[in-house]
Amino acid sequence: MRTDATFPLTARAPGEVIFRRGAMPVTAARFLAEVAALAARLPADGPVLNFCADRYLALVAFAAALSRGHATLLSADRSPQRLADIARLHGARYALADTDVALPLPVLRPEAAPSEAAPNPVIRADRVAAIAFTSGSTGEPRPHAKPWGALVAGARAAAARFAVTPCTGIVGTVPAQHMYGFETTLMLPLQGGGAGHAGPVFYPSDMAEALAAMPAPRLLVTTPLQMRALLGSGVALPPLRAVISATAPLAAGLAAEAEAAWGAPVLEIYGATEAGSVASRRTLEGDAWLPYDGTAFTITEDGASVTVPGLPAPVPLADTLEALEAGRFRLGGRRADMVKLAGKRASLSGLTSILTGIEGVADGVFLAPPDLDRNPRARLAALVVAPGLTPQAVVAALRGRVEPAFLPRPVVMLRSLPRDPVGKLRQGDLAALAWPRH
Amino acid sequence: MTTTFSLEAEVARLIVEALHLETAPEEIDPEAPLFGEGLGLDSIDALEIALAVSKRYGFQLRSDDERNHRIFASLRALAAHIEKNRTG
Repeated sequence: MRTDATFPLTARAPGEVIFRRGAMPVTAARFLAEVAALAARLPADGPVLNFCADRYLALVAFAAALSRGHATLLSADRSPQRLADIARLHGARYALADTDVALPLPVLRPEAAPSEAAPNPVIRADRVAAIAFTSGSTGEPRPHAKPWGALVAGARAAAARFAVTPCTGIVGTVPAQHMYGFETTLMLPLQGGGAGHAGPVFYPSDMAEALAAMPAPRLLVTTPLQMRALLGSGVALPPLRAVISATAPLAAGLAAEAEAAWGAPVLEIYGATEAGSVASRRTLEGDAWLPYDGTAFTITEDGASVTVPGLPAPVPLADTLEALEAGRFRLGGRRADMVKLAGKRASLSGLTSILTGIEGVADGVFLAPPDLDRNPRARLAALVVAPGLTPQAVVAALRGRVEPAFLPRPVVMLRSLPRDPVGKLRQGDLAALAWPRH
Repeated sequence: MTTTFSLEAEVARLIVEALHLETAPEEIDPEAPLFGEGLGLDSIDALEIALAVSKRYGFQLRSDDERNHRIFASLRALAAHIEKNRTG
């Protein structure tokens, strides 16, 4: 991509529907008018913290900020403390939100107000449009800049890969501020195709109602955890064109059950906040991943990286990859120290050092259950030596320092950890203490 | 009121069983928040609770409105919501 390349804010034709707010379709022309109206109300300087829950408002807010040259800070975590941390660390000048959160900066409510026709702004490909965050082991959010060109290329590659037609209805269950949700439910309608569903969708009955409210063909963008809940609830769905899953590996058994129940292919996206979506597969067709058009993978014994259109440098990947024929690859085991839960990564050694840093904790270790990569409900465990502390007190001390998804369950209190003569811990011994029933 | 109190105890057991919590059901403070501070549940747990509630009480939880925050505000609020909506 040339550095002076540009892309329009939306690639959609003016009359195409890019979102549905309840029963109301929003055309690209109307969207642009609403973006211009909001852009005119924004403060002079960014960046902006955008944590709108309504997907359409999140998109209007992102687009209005971009058209003013303001980068959007994306936080899927809406806890006031996390938002304040990100705002402080990354210099947010204002926030755009549709809920009331007290923050030490001006919070504006985006309104989708009809206004006069507006042009389609042209934006340089190398402008940083969004900044996504990973949590990092220390709990400190780490920023990943997303140039506009990379976001556009990713959306267009996804539209081609999943054959998203202009009239495809897209129902997402992942927050719009999570990289996967941002790409599939905001950037895809903006630059690829399809019409997004604006409302909150989380529980099985929400998914069924949202899908029923969209005209066919319908695309459900979700996670293994929510697929499992949806199948378990027995709630019936209208016909689907496809289901897309990401954030955690999807077990073949769950994919087979879903395809049988919903009569649609179940597809998975492989990606990372740092790189965005970079490959996909149909789970039931095997374990080979097909890279997105335009990406290039480098796989060596020391690790893998991916070159993504629009990103300035190759992105190292946290997983081990094995090269297969025709550019495809297989995911090896995760690196032993890295765990991923609820779409967030952490290192076990990092969590362990937070644990042992708690006052009153003499020794301790975090460990992952053997079925972590197969069981969407899996949780980490902690073995703790802390005379005088209860398990509840340990969890209370961890809360606020680690993401809720990584809080240990169970917490097993011990007199000492089973260390060998040189002080090392054996995984087998630890697992037997944490999960005695297995 | 007796009904509510016994339902509260039943829902506390349901939560502890569904989520494999360390806490004993009777140790859950009925007024404390279930998420964040308090019991410290997260969105994975919300789905599990929704699934367990739909199986036991025959209705679906939804996130269509502000009420969702109130429903999960505490064990007491959740039990009251179940009392009002249960079909089983």
